[in-house]
Amino acid sequence: MNNTDTLVRVEAVSRRFPLDNSPGRPAGSTFVSALNNASLRVEAGEFLAISGPSGSGKSTLLNLIGGIDQPSSGRIFIDGVETSGLKVKAQATLRREKIGFVFQTFNLIPVFTAAENVEYPLLVQGVPSSERRRRVAEALEDVGLSARAQQRPDLLSGGERQRVAVARAIVHRPALVLADEPTANLDTRNATQLIDLMRDLNLRLGLTFLFSTHDARLLQHTPRIVRLCDGEIVDDSVESAANSNEGGRHGEVSAACLS
Amino acid sequence: MAKFLLLAFRNVFRNRRRTMMTLLMVGGGVAGLLLVGGFFGSMYDGIRESTISGGLGHLQIFTAEHFRRDEVRVLDTGIDNWRQVAARVQTGNHVRGVAPRIDFYGLVSNGYKSSMFMGSAVDPAAEKSLGFSSHVETGRDLDGKPDGEVEALVGADLAKSMGVKVGDGLTLLTTTTDGAINGIDVQIVGIVKTGWSEVDARYLRITLTSAQRLLATDRVTNLVVGLDATRNTDAVYAQLLPNLKGQGQELTLKKWIDLATAYKQIRGLFNTIFVFIGIIVFFMVLMSSVNTLLMTMFERTREIGTMLAMGTPRIWIIALFMLEATLIGILGAALGVGGGDLLGVLLNHAHVHLPPPPGTTVPMTFRVLLVPGLMIGASIMAVISLALASILPAIRASRLQIAEALAHV
Repeated sequence: MNNTDTLVRVEAVSRRFPLDNSPGRPAGSTFVSALNNASLRVEAGEFLAISGPSGSGKSTLLNLIGGIDQPSSGRIFIDGVETSGLKVKAQATLRREKIGFVFQTFNLIPVFTAAENVEYPLLVQGVPSSERRRRVAEALEDVGLSARAQQRPDLLSGGERQRVAVARAIVHRPALVLADEPTANLDTRNATQLIDLMRDLNLRLGLTFLFSTHDARLLQHTPRIVRLCDGEIVDDSVESAANSNEGGRHGEVSAACLS
Repeated sequence: MAKFLLLAFRNVFRNRRRTMMTLLMVGGGVAGLLLVGGFFGSMYDGIRESTISGGLGHLQIFTAEHFRRDEVRVLDTGIDNWRQVAARVQTGNHVRGVAPRIDFYGLVSNGYKSSMFMGSAVDPAAEKSLGFSSHVETGRDLDGKPDGEVEALVGADLAKSMGVKVGDGLTLLTTTTDGAINGIDVQIVGIVKTGWSEVDARYLRITLTSAQRLLATDRVTNLVVGLDATRNTDAVYAQLLPNLKGQGQELTLKKWIDLATAYKQIRGLFNTIFVFIGIIVFFMVLMSSVNTLLMTMFERTREIGTMLAMGTPRIWIIALFMLEATLIGILGAALGVGGGDLLGVLLNHAHVHLPPPPGTTVPMTFRVLLVPGLMIGASIMAVISLALASILPAIRASRLQIAEALAHV
């Protein structure tokens, strides 16, 4: 694998959280390990799922890659820049310019319309208003929500909200889109549509998608799956989605993890 | 920037009930300050005008010597050629008239009891032309007719102390300008209430000609100048000052504010009270707003986390919270100014009467002045209070750990 195409490099990263209320021990002296010595490479243009049961460390790994949490040890590189050593301001700049986020609970700004929510990352980047308008229209068209542009989130369905969140994540054409359990709050139909949409954006626009899920439906459309169990990467398989039975494999790994 | 302002504005109305409560609190504080300040302002105006029309006038002319030393004998620092000075002053712009006065003192006796009096001698016609009025409780004012008995007005408390009424006679004893003892019989034509009980216990007024005869002099203590309006005082002062030179004696001019000691003391006291009330309102608004804004911050933790995750600079989060609080301050101030002014107008129409202030005997009407400066000041206070209240929540919001904020339920 050529290093120049590597967008994300995770090197022996661990994340431990202090337990403040451990009985009989001083505060901060005990830890729970959410991620343990994880290493991973993601190439530009990949569509990669991080899979595993609840509590396996999927969200922690995504948070660390996204620079919204700091590893206890190890190093993370985004586009060749070591993020774990960056100052708060530089991390914000990196997130602003290179990463798009999609959250499980959509996390749209409720007082903004769909278009204004999509516009927000461009606003933060200081993009001129005419350019913002054009790119927002494009992004909403990409997710098929042009007609709902002026609706506020409370008037949109769950599926539509998540599509707005996807449009918000891609509007500034980030190098990497991180999606934490994007289908967890969606019904089967909306989940499938969202997966198709993300895969389409990946193929059509060349955007790199890295998402966490334990949804077998999503895994069936995913060419590469990294499996986590108890904070450790236990499997990293690259297969043709059409030829694999990822739902079954996911079930096997999950069962093994739980046993 | 416009979008950011829009975001702040919409956030203000996100929780309408809470925003309304905050607006009512801020507005109530501003309205309260306007009512108290407006009432004090009205009181100042009332005291000022009653002080001026009660005889102080807008300007007074004395000899410069009057302020350099105490008089050894009565009127030894008085004005000699006061008629020429008065005639010259009378021609000035905005001058309604000039009234000569003599201040003197002595003993008053009813034949079996004597008491001190502080006398004031006036030209009744000049006083009347200036609208200076004595608060005659019973009887009538001096008429200034040269023939007949020497008329006198007596303070209510002095009359009570001496056991006299309208129509009774009194004898005044004093020293003349030469130091000789002189006396005069006067007939009481009116009992006066000045509004100040200490003054009423010593008050006595006779005509200027009677006093000059009693004191054996043609001098007066001072000339009181009445203007068409109090606001012209400074202009007329500047205009008259050079005209007083070359009058033989060195003369000096005093504005009413320089002589109105009681007015200044009252104003100073009530200004201090107002500032104290203002500080209390400021801190009440501040502390309750901190609580409300912290609650808002906690409710929006996940949203703030999302904004930070998307690379929003932390200073933007601080600015957003401060902007929202400032908007609430502006809206609350507008509500307070509108409500306070409306309430003020309604109270003015209700003609509410208040008991006489301490030391005075005249009841006062509750009136509220609508003072633009006060409205601006109270509004600025409200906005600053809200902006300050937002600092703590804004800083806490900007320092949220993103991952924790995103997991906030």
